[in-house]
Amino acid sequence: MSAQLETTQVFPSFEQVYQGLAGQIGMLRQMAPEPTKSEERRLAGAINTLVEETNADEAVWLESCIHCGQCTTACHFFQATGEAKYAPMRKMDLYRRVYRREVSPLRWLFKLATRPVKLKDFEEAQELIYDSCSECGRCTMVCPMGIDTASLVHHMRSAMVAAELVPPELSALRMEQKNAGTVFGSSPETLKKMIDTIRTHYGVEIPLDLREAEVMVLSSAVDLVANGNGLLATARIMNHIGVDWTICSDGFESANFGLLSGDMSLWRMQADPIVAAAQRIGAKTLVIAECGHAYPALRWNPMLRSGALPFEMMYMSEFLGRQAKAGKLRLRPLEGKVTYHDPCKTGRRGGAFDEPRAVLKALGADFVELPANKEYNWCCGGGAGIFLLEDATRLRDESFKIKIREVNETGAEAVVVSCASCRLNFEAGRQKNHWDKRVDSLVELVADHLIDGPTPISGKKAADAEGAVA
Amino acid sequence: MTLLEFARGPAIHASLIILVAGSMIRLVGVLALTRGADLSRPRDVFGNFKGYRTVFSRAWPSDEFTIVTRYQTAMAYVFHIATLLVVVAIVPHIEFITSLTGLSWPGLPNWIGVALGTIALVSLIALIMRRLSKPEVYNSTVGDYVTWIIVALPLITGLMAFAHVGLRYETMLALHILSSALLFAYFPFSKLMHAFWFLFSRAQSGVAYAHKGVRI
Repeated sequence: MSAQLETTQVFPSFEQVYQGLAGQIGMLRQMAPEPTKSEERRLAGAINTLVEETNADEAVWLESCIHCGQCTTACHFFQATGEAKYAPMRKMDLYRRVYRREVSPLRWLFKLATRPVKLKDFEEAQELIYDSCSECGRCTMVCPMGIDTASLVHHMRSAMVAAELVPPELSALRMEQKNAGTVFGSSPETLKKMIDTIRTHYGVEIPLDLREAEVMVLSSAVDLVANGNGLLATARIMNHIGVDWTICSDGFESANFGLLSGDMSLWRMQADPIVAAAQRIGAKTLVIAECGHAYPALRWNPMLRSGALPFEMMYMSEFLGRQAKAGKLRLRPLEGKVTYHDPCKTGRRGGAFDEPRAVLKALGADFVELPANKEYNWCCGGGAGIFLLEDATRLRDESFKIKIREVNETGAEAVVVSCASCRLNFEAGRQKNHWDKRVDSLVELVADHLIDGPTPISGKKAADAEGAVA
Repeated sequence: MTLLEFARGPAIHASLIILVAGSMIRLVGVLALTRGADLSRPRDVFGNFKGYRTVFSRAWPSDEFTIVTRYQTAMAYVFHIATLLVVVAIVPHIEFITSLTGLSWPGLPNWIGVALGTIALVSLIALIMRRLSKPEVYNSTVGDYVTWIIVALPLITGLMAFAHVGLRYETMLALHILSSALLFAYFPFSKLMHAFWFLFSRAQSGVAYAHKGVRI
């Protein structure tokens, strides 16, 4: 039955998904809010934010840079353009100026010797803090001092929120998520409609709002408003494994424009309901959709006391990897040679290296590593929201050429990614460069290669789901 | 008071007080700041401790970056080792340290001291040449050049005094001591403090990444 239904193409191809989203992203600029506060308050807000967020770690990093120039060799944006201003060390200059005048033990001296920071300095830093830093952390791998520039840039993003200098696209999405609780309009209703569509057209059941479930799964705006195949694939896999799972309509969104823009109050507004929902249903596992930055937003956020939570958070690739290692995935072999791109947020800044590779192994893939892989992987150029920024188009396009070169060197036919942002950025690069490689999502690849036996659908629980969340 | 007496007396003593007090203020002032706790669950319970190995492992660039960083790394090592040996292992310096602390140890023969001083100066020049030839990589500031000059001066004047070139020996020696005093006094306010920071910076990054199961 399902085989027949599956042949009907209800959802668009990812090529179309990208084109559709690109149109929507283009409209975000007009929706961006204008600054509302006075220049003095914006400047004071930015400076105060940095002062508040500066602990010993940040201070040591800011103190340690010796301008040795090593980090420039590691940054894809510098490598792609050769322009001095994109050197990672430059991205902490303004933070250091504020630090020296306001926090440093020698601040009395620096106040005498340096000129005050102006709002204009923050305006000029916008390109460095958003467009040209994906917070990928590659520069930390070469820095002889081990400075974590990405963390410092993240604090700068928080300052930019206070200075009302968030780039228009991120600003529009931040305000949408803050005011309406949606991203690109993906509301609980959108989720329900998508679940209905998947049930009707593909015969795949998605247990929504169960009272109790072992595994709580998140989705993401990209899957709900554009790429239905993502959620469909997730559902197929969950049902294939026969796990007791659910999606909660009051905590389903992986995307967190609080974290991306630097607005940590919005970050909390998004993260808290997810944690609350997982606790309410007694979940043992929370699976984060293929949405790279959701991993640091939830699993690794230093402000989220996850050690004390009764459930474990993991990224989709980690979940799949563990299932593969446990032999719970019955898979047809994957044809052709493939390589794997570690998303910055789940790889170098997340540590989920083994699991996606275990999945590819379970798929029997002819797998080849990229020349620079795992901790040393080159960012695709689209991370930390950069994929959305029109002003960053040239930086993205130029730096993606590094990725093309790397993938071509492997001789693989396809590159597998496990992050919607990376995938969209790869798709953009593929289309713009008429690149002859396939870009596959790990979760969709697994779903497409499942050998389906009897599919256990959590029907028994569907009845008591109604009205569970009102 | 002659210039040499001034250099050997108040100048060098004042500079050493500034060096010690300034370094302490800057180190303690920073390290006494609160540390933001990472509340997230570590990937591996004892994994964080593995992060401390970054203090040692970062002493040499990983294979991924060997080619692009080898010139700088090699020159920096040559410079640091040669300079350190000159500072603590030539006879006149040991005598000065003995006069301050009472401690003493055998010194290197003069010719080795001169060779090391020359090597230190040549490697320092090699480093500034690269900095000058690749401005886009280094993003140099005025502070970078000032620091270079302040580090180079004691080496140049020391070698000149030893070789009896330039001004009268006593004057050259006074200039050498004064330039060293300048270096000591400048140290706590400059990037030279990396001599201490590298330990903390590497350790905290190593631990932050090890928390997530990543070895940097």
